[in-house]
Parts: sequence; structure tokens; C-alpha cells
Amino acid sequence: MVLAASRPSAPAPRVRRPAGWTVVGVLVALLVAGPLLVLPASFVTDAGAFDQIAADLLPEALRASAVLALGVGAGTLALGGGLAALVSFYDFPGRRWLDWALVLPLAMPAYVLVFVLLGQYDADSLAQRAARDGLGVQLPEVRSTGGAILVLTLVLYPYVYVLGRSAFLEQSRDTFEAARSLGLTHARAIVRLGLPLARPALAAGVALAVMEALADFGAVNLLNYRAMTDAIYRVWYGAFDRAAALQLATVLVSLTVALVLLERMLRGRARYHGALARGEAVVPRRLRGPRAWLAAAGPVLLLGLVLVGPLAQLAVWSVQSLGGGATGSDLLRAALTSLGLAGVAALLVVAAATVVVYGRRTQPSRIGSATARLQTLGYAVPGTVVAVAVYIPLAWLDRRIDGLLGTGLLLTGSVIGLVLAYVVRFQALAFFAVESRMARLDPALDDAAQSLGADRNRVLSDVHLPLLWPGIVTAALLVFVEVMKELPATALLRPLGSDTLAVAVWEATKDSRFDTAALPALLIVAVSLFPVVALIRLSRAGAPLEVRAPGG
Amino acid sequence: MLTALIRRRARLLLGGALLIVAVLAVAVVAFGGQADVVVYNGRSQYGDEAAFTAFEQDMGKRLELRGGTAPELFERLRSEGSDTPADLLVTTDLANLWRAKTAGLLEPVRSTTLARQVPEPYRDPDGAWYGLSLRIRTPMRSTERVEAGSVKSYEDLGDPRWKGRLCLRTSGNEYNQSLVADMLAKRGPERTRALLESWMANEPRILGSDVDVLDAIAGDRCDVGLTNHYYLARELEDDPSFPVAPEWPDQDGAGAHTNLSGAGLVKGTEHRDDALALLEHLTAPAAQRTIAANGEFAVNADLPPAEHIREWANVELDPIDVEQAGRLLPDAVELMQEVGWS
Repeated sequence: MVLAASRPSAPAPRVRRPAGWTVVGVLVALLVAGPLLVLPASFVTDAGAFDQIAADLLPEALRASAVLALGVGAGTLALGGGLAALVSFYDFPGRRWLDWALVLPLAMPAYVLVFVLLGQYDADSLAQRAARDGLGVQLPEVRSTGGAILVLTLVLYPYVYVLGRSAFLEQSRDTFEAARSLGLTHARAIVRLGLPLARPALAAGVALAVMEALADFGAVNLLNYRAMTDAIYRVWYGAFDRAAALQLATVLVSLTVALVLLERMLRGRARYHGALARGEAVVPRRLRGPRAWLAAAGPVLLLGLVLVGPLAQLAVWSVQSLGGGATGSDLLRAALTSLGLAGVAALLVVAAATVVVYGRRTQPSRIGSATARLQTLGYAVPGTVVAVAVYIPLAWLDRRIDGLLGTGLLLTGSVIGLVLAYVVRFQALAFFAVESRMARLDPALDDAAQSLGADRNRVLSDVHLPLLWPGIVTAALLVFVEVMKELPATALLRPLGSDTLAVAVWEATKDSRFDTAALPALLIVAVSLFPVVALIRLSRAGAPLEVRAPGG
Repeated sequence: MLTALIRRRARLLLGGALLIVAVLAVAVVAFGGQADVVVYNGRSQYGDEAAFTAFEQDMGKRLELRGGTAPELFERLRSEGSDTPADLLVTTDLANLWRAKTAGLLEPVRSTTLARQVPEPYRDPDGAWYGLSLRIRTPMRSTERVEAGSVKSYEDLGDPRWKGRLCLRTSGNEYNQSLVADMLAKRGPERTRALLESWMANEPRILGSDVDVLDAIAGDRCDVGLTNHYYLARELEDDPSFPVAPEWPDQDGAGAHTNLSGAGLVKGTEHRDDALALLEHLTAPAAQRTIAANGEFAVNADLPPAEHIREWANVELDPIDVEQAGRLLPDAVELMQEVGWS
């Protein structure tokens, strides 16, 4: 194996040669990114496929997706970044519990929020009637560009909030006090110092939110917002033109790549090290009077809209559906399937991401960076497309294995295909979480360890892993929650007879049978809340140097 | 080169690896399943699983039902090829069965039972598929604001009097796509385009599901709409005073566009006898009664519609011309795109 072959004969850290970890990292990255090569390959294998339908759909869909990306990017940056700064640098009533409560919407899948909104609001609901009869105004349509941006911003802002918040937590009090002593006010210090220092984290959060928005299918479909994912689905399942669908997907991925490159360009060459290790966190300034209440009211209102209201509505619908005699055993089976899939996927994804991150760290190289970037693209690819990108090579392999061993559909007929799809799809999530943590570890640490005679494996196991641990666990929890919510790939690749909660919700939602969809939806949110709470406890553990790996 | 890492974290790594293998193994065994008949079931959302479970009880066979929309199931079937575990494909829409047949994915069967239970217009001449139920896609009106007889044809939905008061489902929906494909087959491209353009000129409100369309009519956001008939049947069963009524189109002419939900044996099935038995079971009176209970019309001519919609039994039907419509489906999707049906 490559692992054994590249074993260094002696710890000789000063000699620069292809490090084993780098090779492994590149290989893992290629393995994750590999299936996505199906996308550009579709231009080669079916050159004439980009036919009239695709050409007709493309301009509008591209515009819709670009608008969505910009809207959600700006929205999550303002909302997530703003809230993170508010909670980190100011003290106000309720701050302690708002701090963690603001992460909770992460457990709310966008399509669930949409169907609750549609059910409450779009139909002839109480809210709609009250607004029309009482105030004489028509509430704005949920099914609109603004509606799509709003809904996705409301469920995706926690990415920016979480990463921003942990970046703010690690900013040192000393730096701030130095700024204050130089005459900056608290507010100015935040703008001039706090925000710029948190830029890598905020940018990573926005990048995740935008990629998620571009790849969203469920919410966009329910809102009838005709973005790229909708066009891909239409070309595929309306016109049954798989090649054209893959080519549209390639266009979508290109759009994401352009956005990521733009973000890199804007960020420039700025690097921030060292803020991590020193001193205590910034002391938040206490707000008083109406400003304090205003600061508390905003987040509370937000949580009511995104979480409490929808959960209450789901609970009401669930009770109604229980009255109608829902089948409990199916639901339990679906819940167990969801949990198992999410757990396995989280473990695999995090292991893969850590290896890639460390491979780049031990020996930064062009090819390392390029493959690392490449493997994160899966996050921007709609689940439907990932499913097929994974499916095509696996089906080929299956036939070979079947020919040799007569095993039947070993890979595509079981959960293996689905789990691989999750790895391809959510690798970016874990990678960003681990990498943004790694980026804040001063390279001097590695040099110091190596000059003390530690080889690369010991640097990873004794220096990096303990420091990375919060990032790794964060990554695992993020992936777990995402898999719980994942819909399109699951729907396509789920093995026989195993529905997940998300699929149960979706199938009922398509027919607007909201009361049937409510109970599994409630379960998704409930189950996802646990890892989200764990995520919060982790980020609140505060001073990162005190966090040790178990047994480390 | 992993030695240092392995030495230090041996237990952790080993535990993690074992856990992954164990979970995967359990999952493969648990989900691999040993079913007698595997059904790719596009009808998973119609509350008629009872028709399938009855088969398990009567025949002592185990069924595996795999849900999904008909296009997704077709695509899956196509990629799996001869390795597919599926024995029976059940869809909510005839175009998808036609497509499966054309792609060579279905295995023609004949039996006297099937011939007796499924009338000739509702089965494939070659026996590749058999209808299970009939579903009429028909204009609907508000009983509070629109007089009966205001909409006498699909064309009438394009009347300017409905400007801003027409509700449609999205063009991504397969029922709409099949309807337009059937129009292309029967009316030709010019008349169909003119028809759709007249609908679009009414600036229709585009909604996500047939239920949404009915709710919008009931909730005074639209006066007329277009849905499958059984969605209204379900509403009326819950609430007999639901203020929406069907406006059966073209009753003096071609009749109301009728699609079929149906099923066919998958080519190369290893459980041909069981799958055939299931197909016969699904078209027999008992299962047909279960299917009809949710408002669809049974394909078996012996069975009337459900009690509360029995008066709908006399509607003049225009079954989809599936050979032509199936072929024209991509054209339909494109046309809907061109006229701006979102």
C-alpha cells in the first residue's frame, strides 16, 4: 500500500521530499472528487446533448441561481456575522441562552420551514386572513425571489454565526485593549479589528451557506423558484436527457467555482495566525436601557419565526395526523435508518477531511491545494447530481465484481453507494471546519515540534489532533445534521425498503399533505437538535487550549 | 508510516473502523432483504399500501416496496439494467410506463385473469403494462363564485374572464406534462400552443400541488383551476361542503383527459409468477376497491367510484393516447417552457 511504501526511514524533518501524508491527502481528495469528473465528461461523451430544452432553460435558471447566491451570501453575512458580533462583544438580557439558541435553526431543514410557511401562510390561513381583513393588506407571496432568499438565509445563517462566533471567542483581550488604549471606541474596535480578524471564518461560513443555497433542491422546488437545480431536475426527469442534465450541473458547479475564486481574490493574501494562542477572550460590553432590550428582541423574534413558530405548527399537525392513525413502526424504522446513515457518514467524512487537511499542512504544494479545492466542490453539486455521479462508476464496478464473484448489486444496491454520495456531497463541510481550525494553528508549532525530533505522525497525533479536536467534532456534528436533512441523493440512492425521515417528509409534502409530513419533520428537527446542542457546548468550551482529545 | 498514529490512538482508530464496518455490514444485511417480490412503487402516496399488504397476507409472500416518483424509478431501472432487483414497476402516470416499455425494460405478460379484470383500452396491446386506476385531469370551479357550466372545455380556462383568477400547478409536474403531450397528440402543435398561450395570458397563479390549487380556489385566491379529480374527492370526503366542484370538459366531444396509473413486469424478473400474481391481485375487485376508496376510478369495470362521488361515474372520458403522448413528452416540456408556464 501507499501508506507503507512511503514510510520515512528516519525522522528527518528538515529534508523536503514528497511526504507520505501529502500523497495520502491528495489521493483521498482525488477519490472524493473523482465521481464529479462525470460532469465535465458529459460534454465529451454526449457533445450534441446540450439541446433546445437545456438552452431554453439555462439563461433564466442561471440568473435565478446567481441572484439566490448573492442574496443568501449577503443575507447570511449580515445576519450571521451581525449576530455573532452582537453576542460576542455586547452583553444584554438573555445573552447567555441566545448565544446557543441562535445556532438551533441549523436543525431546521429549509424544505420543512418552507412547507410550514406555505401551510400557515399561503393557504387561506389565519395570518393571511387577519392581514387581509384586519389591515387591508395582502401579505407578500412566499413563492417569490425574496421569499426564496429569505427562507434560505433564515436557515443557513447559523453557518456564519457559528464560525464567526468561535473566531470572535478566540480573539484576545490584549489585542482589543491595545486598540482601546490607542483611542478606538468599543464599536470602532469591533469594526476595525474584530471583524477583519474574523474574516477567514466569516468567509468560510458564507461560502458554505452559498454553496448550500446553490445546491438546495427541496426548498427551491416547493417555492417553484426556477434555479439551476430545478432546471437540472426538469431536463432530467421531464425530458429524460441525462447528458444534458449533467451538463447543466457542470454549469452550476462552474458558477460555484467562480464564486469561491472571487472570495479568495477578495480575501487576498491575508493570513491570520497567532490570535488563537494568547490570553483571554474579549470582555463583552454591557448594554443598558432600551438598547439592551432591542438587542435581545431581535434574536428572540428571529428564533420565534424560524424555530418556535414552525415547531408549534408541526406539533399541531402531528397531533392531527396521530388522530388519523399514522403508522408508528414505519416511522421508527425511518428514524433508525436516518440515524445510522448520518452516524456512518459523519465518521467517514471527518476522517477523509482530516487526512486531506493534514496532507496539505505537512507539505503545501500546488497539487495538494488544487485537489483539496476540487474535493470541496461536491458541496455545491445538487444531491441529485451527486447521486448519479457516484452511481455511474459504482454501477460499473458492481458489474465487474458481480462478474467475478456473483454478488449481485453489492455497491449500488446497498447503503454503500448512498454513504459514498454523502462523503462526496459533505466533504467540504468537514474540510472547511477542520481547515479553518488548522489555519489558526501557527506553523511555528510544527517547526518547534519537528526541531524537537517529532516526525510528521507525531506532529499530527500529539500536536495537531488535540488542538484540532474541536474542529473535528464540529465537522462531524455538521455532517451528521446535514445527512439527517439530506433529501435528493437519499431519495435516489436509498436501498430497497429503507426510507429515511427526510424522504417521508418529502413524499407527503409533494402532495401538500402537511399533517402527514409533520411528524417525521418534527423528528428530523428533534434528532438534529442534539448534535447542534453538542456543537454549541463545544464552541462554548471557550479557551481552545484547554480542550484535549480524549486520552490525549 | 501511520505507525506512530496507530500506536497512540490504536483503540480509537480500531474502534472507529470496527464501528463503521459493523454498521455497514448490518445495513447491508438488513436492507439487502429477502423479498419474494420487489416493487418499484410510484403509488406510495395514495394510501393504498393496504392493497399490497393484503397480497402478503393472502399469498404468504413478502413484498418490498420502494417508493419514489415514476420518473426517478424509471431512471433507476434504466441504470440498473439487467441487475435490477425490481420485479414490478408501478407508476402514477402512463407516460412513464410507455417510456419503460419503449426502453425495453418491461416484460410482456398475458393471463386470462388480467384480460378479464382490465378492459382492453386500459392495457398495453402487447401486455407490457396494465392499468390500475383512472385519473381525470379536469377544470375545477369555486361553487361560491362560479356558476356550473362556466367552463365547458380546457380552452375555456383561457377565457379572459379568468384573468388573475386561474390557478395551475407547476409545469414540472408529470400530470401537466402528460396532459400537454396528449394535447399535442390530439390537437397538434399550433392549437396546443395557442391554448397554452391563452392560459398564460390569464396570468395564472402557479402552485406547488393539486391540493394547493383546490385550497386556493376554496380560499378565494382563484376562481378556477386544473387538478386531478381524486384530490377533490378526498377533500369532499373530509368536508362535504368544500366549496369546489369539477367542471367536466369536452363532454359533447372528446371527453375529459384521463391518465392511468398502472403496472408492468420488469424485464428479466426472477419472480415472474409471484409478480404476475401480484399484478392480478392489484386488478382484482378487492384491491381495486381499496384503490378506488381514495377517489380514483377503478380500472376494473365492475367497480363504481367511491360512494360520495358516485355521480361522477357518468363522465365522458378521453383516455391518454399513450403511444403518441409518450413520444411527445419532451416536446411538451419544451412548449410549456416556451409559453412561460413556470
